[in-house]
Amino acid sequence: MKGYAWAIGATAACTAAGLAMRSRFDLVNIAMVYLLAVVIVALRHSRGPAILTSILSVAAFDFLFVPPRGTFTVDDVQYLLTFAIMLAVGLIISRLIDGLRNQATAQVKLELEAETERIRSALLASISHDLRTPLAVLCGASSSLAERGERLSPAERQALAKSVYDQSRDMSELLNKVLEMTRLETGAIVLKRDWDSVGEIAGAVLERLRERLADHRVVVELPHDLPLVRVDAVLIEQALANLLENAARHTPSGTLVRLRAALSGGELVVSVEDFGPGLPDGDVERVFAKFHRGMAEGAGGGVGLGLAICRAIVRLHGGRAWAEQLPGGGTAFRFSLPIEAQPEMPTEAVA
Amino acid sequence: MTTILVVEDEPEIRRFLRSTLGTEGFRVVESPNARRGAIDAGTHRPDLAIVDLALPDYDGRELIRQIREWSPMPIVVLSARHQEASKIDAFEAGADDYITKPFGVGELLARVRVALRHAARSPAGQVLNLGKIRIELDKRRAGRDGAEIHLTPIEFRLLGALAKHLGMVVTHRQLLAEVWGPSHVGRTHYVRIYMKQLRDKLEEDPVRPRYLVTETGVGYRLLSDEA
Repeated sequence: MKGYAWAIGATAACTAAGLAMRSRFDLVNIAMVYLLAVVIVALRHSRGPAILTSILSVAAFDFLFVPPRGTFTVDDVQYLLTFAIMLAVGLIISRLIDGLRNQATAQVKLELEAETERIRSALLASISHDLRTPLAVLCGASSSLAERGERLSPAERQALAKSVYDQSRDMSELLNKVLEMTRLETGAIVLKRDWDSVGEIAGAVLERLRERLADHRVVVELPHDLPLVRVDAVLIEQALANLLENAARHTPSGTLVRLRAALSGGELVVSVEDFGPGLPDGDVERVFAKFHRGMAEGAGGGVGLGLAICRAIVRLHGGRAWAEQLPGGGTAFRFSLPIEAQPEMPTEAVA
Repeated sequence: MTTILVVEDEPEIRRFLRSTLGTEGFRVVESPNARRGAIDAGTHRPDLAIVDLALPDYDGRELIRQIREWSPMPIVVLSARHQEASKIDAFEAGADDYITKPFGVGELLARVRVALRHAARSPAGQVLNLGKIRIELDKRRAGRDGAEIHLTPIEFRLLGALAKHLGMVVTHRQLLAEVWGPSHVGRTHYVRIYMKQLRDKLEEDPVRPRYLVTETGVGYRLLSDEA
């Protein structure tokens, strides 16, 4: 649609230019101006608008400039050649451009496929690495219980069973992260948006991560009058959980983790601030990349998907996710959510 | 002896449910599919059913609907993550609670006990004890250490709707239908606003509620010192 508007606009502009030029220039030069319009439209848009420009140009040129003016009749046969050339140029250029455009699209597609492939293999490598350790523990501990159980002391049995439990929980979480990332990347997620309060989501996250956060001092700062947001609560809970887990994982136990929310420029900004070692220079952006792991991360670290998932979820909601170094050390991980017109509220006559 | 029906197609999961529930003194009836589950529910008359949502022959939600046609027995659903929608359907079909796979035994037994206790409780004359707060739902009175806490009529109704399923999940739709009427079921923000008001009045730390618990994407759960 835009292309056709361009076709009409360009022809009109050429006609105006042509009318201004008429007294001083040959008709051939005015034809050139129209030809320029045909070329420009062919370059910018697809074949249809280019052909339309050719036809409009020919018509305008004939009607306004070629004697006898004010009619579509042509006295001199040579102008028919001019018309034919304008049409031909329009067709040839638009065809050339279409070809190039198709090539470029194919190229982008190829590159995308290569990128997807690269991500897939990185994912596989990362997952198999992260699954191997817990699997080894599961295999060892459970076989020990199954085959040697009666020779172990109750305390030893208990410890082995406990590690089977812990490792399987970790594996389950890893699997959830991988599935979540895949679902987000393949666009398989349809947001189920409804009005929700960030305070309520925060409460649910803190409850869900109670054990994970037990070694940190968690402070919550939520203004009392925050507006409601229209979000997929399950996903936003996940995004926030990932930020909090991240803070718990990368900062020494006993340090402060601050969860805050505030209004800022028409958005609701949710922050998780930690007082750990901070990020190495340049990592402020890279931390959100897939499979990025913190420097000090050993076998106990995550897969490096948490922040990437957080960012993907927030973007789906039309928000942003970013990290900032805090003055005096520590890092803030923040995401924003757009605020919409608030829904109509229930009224109740207060007794 | 309390009988529990387990409808689950994975034999390994049935095995560990059987041994866990068995050591707790429950009699366990196992059904590998929904059709068998419907029959076993009729013949064994269990006190509680644990139903997997993804069954090989037909959907667990359909089985729940069938059981609900003739029995109020508590039904606890086993679901995978990312199944919030089917979870909500299960509640609409008549389920009382859910556990997300994978789950630990502690969580499972807690859910089962709450559901059984709920089934045994008589509904009349409800008194809720939330820490130092005592709420007499029938008399519409609430107080902390003898000092009255003012709750609006809607707040009482909301609390009452949750208390009917004490310890178990109530969906947003169920709450809206019960408190504001069936024409209001789409207005989730009503529940959000009133839940916040209730928490501000009843919870010691409203951000980290102990009694009015959020089940994200599904609804709420009221815990009290009884459940």
